[in-house]
Amino acid sequence: MYDTIIIGAGPAGLSAARILQHSQKVLIIDEYFHPGGRLLGQLYEEEKGSWWNGLKMADELYEDTKEKTEIKLSTSVYNVEFDETYTVYTTNGNFKSEHLIIATGAREKSTPLPGWDLPGVMTVGAAQVLTNFSRVKPGDKGVIVGVNPLSMVIGLELGYADIEVAKICLPQENLINSDTPREALNTLMSLGKSAPSKPLSLAAGIAETARPFHSTAVKLFPKNGVKAMGMPISIKEKIIRINGTEKVESVTVQKTDAAGTLIADTDRVIDCDFVCLSDGLAPLNEIASLLDLKHIYSEALGGYVPLHSEKMQTELPNLYVAGNITGIENAKIAIFQGELAAHQILNNEALSLNTLTKINNERKHAKVKFHKDLDDGKKMVQNFWSKLGKNPSQ
Amino acid sequence: MTERITYHKILGEIKHNPVPFNWNDQTLYGNAGESLTAALLANGIRTLRYHEKDGKPRGLYCNIGHCSECRCLINGVRNQRACMTPVRHGMSIEQQTELPHRIKGGR
Ligand SMILES: Cc1cc2nc3c(=O)[nH]c(=O)nc-3n(C[C@H](O)[C@H](O)[C@H](O)COP(=O)(O)OP(=O)(O)OC[C@H]3O[C@@H](n4cnc5c(N)ncnc54)[C@H](O)[C@@H]3O)c2cc1C
Ligand code: FES
Repeated sequence: MYDTIIIGAGPAGLSAARILQHSQKVLIIDEYFHPGGRLLGQLYEEEKGSWWNGLKMADELYEDTKEKTEIKLSTSVYNVEFDETYTVYTTNGNFKSEHLIIATGAREKSTPLPGWDLPGVMTVGAAQVLTNFSRVKPGDKGVIVGVNPLSMVIGLELGYADIEVAKICLPQENLINSDTPREALNTLMSLGKSAPSKPLSLAAGIAETARPFHSTAVKLFPKNGVKAMGMPISIKEKIIRINGTEKVESVTVQKTDAAGTLIADTDRVIDCDFVCLSDGLAPLNEIASLLDLKHIYSEALGGYVPLHSEKMQTELPNLYVAGNITGIENAKIAIFQGELAAHQILNNEALSLNTLTKINNERKHAKVKFHKDLDDGKKMVQNFWSKLGKNPSQ
Repeated sequence: MTERITYHKILGEIKHNPVPFNWNDQTLYGNAGESLTAALLANGIRTLRYHEKDGKPRGLYCNIGHCSECRCLINGVRNQRACMTPVRHGMSIEQQTELPHRIKGGR
């Protein structure tokens, strides 16, 4: 019997363990073979010359927890039950605990398009892990499909490893992604305000070329795209097909007008040996669903999130959530959320409030923001919580 | 072709500890502890399996355990996710292939 079991050894889970381990018997479970979750591939410049190195951060969190916390890696959780205590079913046996923290993070959304199943097509996150964690090139020359904060940051990361990105553009409209050139331009502009210094100058570069006077900006955006920070970005070209027989050989792109409508006879082929698909991130909420928690849909948070309080409580006693399962945000927020869940378990209201302040500050100044309406999404969840949340421990 | 990033502008050098493993009866070398998807890609191998139903080639997709596109026969166990399995000395990994279509007469 453990005092607390934590599912997920990403920044949220490890930072919760780091606090709890001093007074509790803690088990942390992760299905990957290396602790750190999605920190492992992260790399971006926060200020000039100062880098956010996720792998280093992951190793530090692991150093701080490996002595006092029991960490089971290469272990998948496939079921959880609640009957006064929690029973966690894993591929390495079943474990019981009084408290449970679900910190399973996020998954990538990606649009299938003709040719998506060819070897060499991958999510943009797959390319990130290969490049920054495994240090194996996903290929020599890639094309990125999807314009969003994650795809832009990872496009830059490929550049740091001298991997050529031949084109970043939109997919042909489909059920998952119907981004118009206008929306893509807005994404680029919003990156400019909040993102690390490199994308900032990138977006600024586009602003200069395209002049963002709303209605004319998209019209003025050059049909062949612009080159910013070494990345060829097109918001008025769409990928209509990925070509190849045994593996990716090229993509076919077609020009669009400012509204995103394809223009006939403008298609051309771009050679490449890998393609990254990217439609952003969604909270990984299966475990919370297994416990029958109510979920709330918020586009700003990335999808369905389990109903929770701003202090990470859920409808069930002694059950907490932390990190990207509560909405897509950067790893610093995930770390604070893990700490907050731990302070709640230890009934430390003073430190909880203190951590909540840190979260709100980081949200204001975040270098990487995934959605411009995040605050609205968070408010909506809190409204639902005050109406529907019923945590018996309160 | 794909290759290893031995020197990275920001992350610097990476240490290599090559270990042999078997891929479809062929001996390849991977960096000890890296994922099998990375080890195979570093050897220029993209096709990890042929689809059970239509026999089309498939490769890694998410590389973090979410999609199961990378399922292989690893140390004799079917449908193991190559991206979640670290390469170890002497390990065996094999491609899975199209399944027989018994009802349709083994098309
Ligand atoms: C591909 C990808 C790339 C990203 N890149 C960036 C970036 O560059 N910058 C940025 O700020 N943010 C990025 N993010 C957002 C990222 O989610 C957060 O930065 C942060 O890592 C979230 O922390 P977390 O602890 O909530 O979850 P994670 O870091 O995702 O950790 C969750 C852990 O839980 C484990 N897990 C999940 N389900 C189970 C289960 N059933 N059984 C066992 N273990 C399980 C996973 O293996 C994982 O290790 C990225 C996200 C993804 C998916
Ligand atoms: S590539 Fe998706 S599970 Fe391995």
